[in-house]
Amino acid sequence: MLDFALKISVALFAIAIVLNLYRVAVGPSLPDRILALDTMYVNSIALIVLFGIWLGHRTYFEAALLIAMLGFVSTVAVCKYLLRGDIIE
Amino acid sequence: MSLLLIVLLPLLGSLLPSLSSNQRRHQCALLTAAMPLIALLVTLRETPGVIAGEVPRLAFSWVPALGLDLALRLDGLSLLFVLLILGIGLLIILYARHYLSEADNMPRFYAYLMLFMTSMLGIVMADNLILLWMFWELTSLSSFLLIGFWSHQSAARKGARMALAVTGMGGLALLAGLILIGQIVGTFDMQTVLDSRDVILADPRYLPALLLILLGAFTKSAQFPFQFWLPQAMAAPTPVSAFLHSATMVKAGVFLLARLHPALAGSQEWLYLVSLTGLVTMLYGAYFALIKLDLKTILAYSTVSHLGLITMLFGLNSQMAVVAGLFHILNHATFKAALFMTAGIVDHECGTRDIRKLKGLWRYMPMTTALAAITAASMAGFPLLNGFLSKEMMLAETLETPLLGGLAWLIPVLATIGSILAAAYSLRYVRNTFFDGKPRELEKTPHEASFPMRLPVLVLAIVCIIIGLFPAFSATGILTTAADAALTMPAPELHLSIWHGFNLPLLMSAIALIGGFMVYVLRQHLFTFHRQFPSRNSLAIFEGAVQRLVRFTQWGIDTLENGSLQRYMLWVVISALAVSGMSLMGIETLKGELAVQKADPLLIVGAAITCFAGLATAFLHRRRLISLIMLSVVGLMASLAFARFSAPDLALTQLAVEVVTVILLMLALFFLPQKTPKESSASRIVRDVLLAAGFGGVVASLNYALLTRPLNSISDYFLEHSVSGGGGHNVVNVILVDFRGFDTLGEITVLCIAGIGIYKLLNRLRLFMPSSDSEGRPWSPDRYPMILASVSQSLLPMALLVSVFIFLRGHNAPGGGFIAGLVTAVALILMYIAHGVEWAQQRLSFQYQPIAVSGVAIATLTGVGSWAFGYPFLTSAFGHFHIPLIGDVELATAMLFDLGVYLTVVGATLMILANLGKVTTSHRPSKQKEKA
Amino acid sequence: MIALYTLMEGVIAFFLIAGSIFALIGSLGLARMKDFYMRLHGPSKISTLGVGCVLLASIAYFSLLNGGPSLQELLITIFLFITAPVSAHLLSKSALHQKLPRDPRTRGNPEELQEDDDETTLEEAPQGSSKLP
Repeated sequence: MLDFALKISVALFAIAIVLNLYRVAVGPSLPDRILALDTMYVNSIALIVLFGIWLGHRTYFEAALLIAMLGFVSTVAVCKYLLRGDIIE
Repeated sequence: MSLLLIVLLPLLGSLLPSLSSNQRRHQCALLTAAMPLIALLVTLRETPGVIAGEVPRLAFSWVPALGLDLALRLDGLSLLFVLLILGIGLLIILYARHYLSEADNMPRFYAYLMLFMTSMLGIVMADNLILLWMFWELTSLSSFLLIGFWSHQSAARKGARMALAVTGMGGLALLAGLILIGQIVGTFDMQTVLDSRDVILADPRYLPALLLILLGAFTKSAQFPFQFWLPQAMAAPTPVSAFLHSATMVKAGVFLLARLHPALAGSQEWLYLVSLTGLVTMLYGAYFALIKLDLKTILAYSTVSHLGLITMLFGLNSQMAVVAGLFHILNHATFKAALFMTAGIVDHECGTRDIRKLKGLWRYMPMTTALAAITAASMAGFPLLNGFLSKEMMLAETLETPLLGGLAWLIPVLATIGSILAAAYSLRYVRNTFFDGKPRELEKTPHEASFPMRLPVLVLAIVCIIIGLFPAFSATGILTTAADAALTMPAPELHLSIWHGFNLPLLMSAIALIGGFMVYVLRQHLFTFHRQFPSRNSLAIFEGAVQRLVRFTQWGIDTLENGSLQRYMLWVVISALAVSGMSLMGIETLKGELAVQKADPLLIVGAAITCFAGLATAFLHRRRLISLIMLSVVGLMASLAFARFSAPDLALTQLAVEVVTVILLMLALFFLPQKTPKESSASRIVRDVLLAAGFGGVVASLNYALLTRPLNSISDYFLEHSVSGGGGHNVVNVILVDFRGFDTLGEITVLCIAGIGIYKLLNRLRLFMPSSDSEGRPWSPDRYPMILASVSQSLLPMALLVSVFIFLRGHNAPGGGFIAGLVTAVALILMYIAHGVEWAQQRLSFQYQPIAVSGVAIATLTGVGSWAFGYPFLTSAFGHFHIPLIGDVELATAMLFDLGVYLTVVGATLMILANLGKVTTSHRPSKQKEKA
Repeated sequence: MIALYTLMEGVIAFFLIAGSIFALIGSLGLARMKDFYMRLHGPSKISTLGVGCVLLASIAYFSLLNGGPSLQELLITIFLFITAPVSAHLLSKSALHQKLPRDPRTRGNPEELQEDDDETTLEEAPQGSSKLP
């Protein structure tokens, strides 16, 4: 049961990521693309956690943690750029 | 051991003057003089032994792979020069004490002088060809410092540069020649080389080696056509000229001829090259010494002339000529050093060296006049003085040379003409300066120099007279020993005496003196004649040549390195393509014996996304921000791929680097032009597409070929020894901080230096700041959105906790200092983004440079620490500990090393990002000011 | 015990499926909605919830595996739940700043999007530009 659920779950997240990529590519505006990239980061966290469950090992925990943290910072930086141009002022 | 002392004491002496201050000049001179004085005493203690025929030698192996030994010898030739260098050097120290003015930095001068003295002693005592060359180059460098001592004068700088360029070039040629000799003989050991004349002369490489060595010797000794640098070097302070350009530096060239005489001389090539060059130089120098108007320039040209004379003697392939050459080295050093010092005294007391202004100085400085007259008479070859003796020997030798065969009579005739000119310019030097009317247009009234300043001249003049009157008593011993060394056979029986009876050389000497007087009387005609030549300034010609060379190389650089990044990338990619393409063509089939892994749908989707995003990054490159977002997608996919293929460390690093890069690019994008440049031309697009496709194809094939072949890599070793050898379960981290710790140390050092470099470059940088985005919208007025500011502040402790967690677990689980450092840096950068530089700086009130530097220091010290326990650099120790609450921990010294890595990364990253952010802050009104 | 395992497996599977469906819906919304303001809703709320569910599943799974509570994933969850609103806020702020076009059905009329408010922004724009020394 768990195996099956994992497979379904991975497939759905993969589709979600493809949908995000579609939005990144199409836009039309920059905030759209940034939003899509941010969502992609979030979905990647889920994918990595799913890898972990699949392997039954916590090796990927740090990776998921870092995506959560760094993805946020990168989104903030790009947004700040759109708003102010100068991200550190 | 005493040999080492002779060289090392002056070297130590070059440090001593700096202990004294510029104000305490007496103390400074005494301190400086102490070391060479001791060295002179040591040498004198050795002297009886050397004269009796001993050759003290000393050798330490230094760099055996290069054939370089720290080998010294003190044979007769060395002894002669060591005594000259130390003796005249001491007189120069005394003289310089009174010559240098208050404005000159005396400790610095003495330090340079002693450095020069050391290198000169090294040349004459070296018992190894490479060691000799090393000291040779050191004289070039230290003489550069000395000639350019008055660095505020353009002439001094240019003269120093010219001397360095010419002698440095000669030095390189010399090195090449010495290496050739070393290859012919099979060793660089001096004695072996000197003993293998037959081997050397028979070798086909003899001629090139000889030419290269002569190039070195001739540039150093200012032989024609390299004579031009010596007169320009007269911009040096007079003590320097008296030391370098009479007794030592320029004598290094002729010393080399004497030193290598046993090994190289005897061939026709040697005879013609050396003696004719010497002859031409002698005449050329003598003529210009008669023409020139500046006292020191006159002396410089006369030095050129005398060096030519000595060179000619060494070239004649006659034993007695070598003895005469050595004798003249000794005599020339004494009278020329004294003459330079008198010129210095005149300059010092009158403020000018122009011979047209100076006249009748005997009224004001009778003592100096007398000394100048004695030494100049010696230079002219006046009987009862030392110059006469060696000059007569020279004339006698020219009569016997086989040079030029049937035209051999030309040699003594030309030598006599040279002597006539020498007598004439000596007379001119003394009469025009000290007699012949009254001085005019002098800036100050001249007066006699102080006694200490005259003392060195007096000593040298007395030496001139003693050798002149009692040659057999004073000079025979040392000359015979020196000649023994320069000939590697017992020197011919030497009968130095004033009177040999009426013979041809005596007649020639008489002709030279009388002819010199007549030329002097009739000199105005010569000057009138000389004026017909267009005047040529060797300095201007040399500078012109240098400028042309610089322009040429600049052109070369501009053509190759035109600043276009595309072009550099083009060459890098093409060469990478060529190298890897070649090796790919070398294998038979692309696919190896391993089976290909099955691709599941997830992998295919991931690969497709990566390809798409990669292509989009390239196609959208003109819309920079979108391209950057696409690049982030590629980065994210790369780290997912790393995770999927069980490389969590790589995934973490990729993520952290990705975000730091994005921040960096965002910072940079702000300053870039808003409008992207024009699209490339069609042909360029074709070129780039072809190149990129080719490169991609080659890299993909390479990967495919590698992955389908069983690979016997070192990774098994690492996996096996990670716990036992490094005390960690995370092999990647153990490799980084332990097995390959030295690499990591190098890398963090580079990172630290790069950070400091960027910090320096950004310092006070002012850039154009756009006031609106690319579509013309003004920036939002909300600088620090409140929600972001408060939330990110509350995230900071969590982020720091995460980085500590990653750091601590790094040795056993994915993580480590590098990633933890990046996480900390990003967390702190978030503060800068959310709150601004001002806010962050108030709270992070420390500099980042010390952090980065202390990181490197900690890592280095950890490595050094293992020495204390008798292990090699960077050996790590580790142990297993149980800490309450946290659990079992493997603690290794590698953790300390990792701490260094962590600190360096934090410091360097923040140094770069925060300072790049600060670029705009300095010229933006601060928040406080706005409120006020 | 076996019953507990089966039950837990069911719970984990449920969270996995639910989470991935949420995430898919969120991403679908991002792809399908008409304007940015609508699109913002999907990812910022539903996707976050979806990942939260997956993280819960992971917590449950590893607690089961290790035979004790295993709460490390909670850290990720907290992180996400704190940061998602901030990102959404910043994104909407930049969208308003860029005056992105609205679908007629999008409600609300924030002052940033009104046409006649240009005079306030100019004087507070970053200074020092185009008049460098």
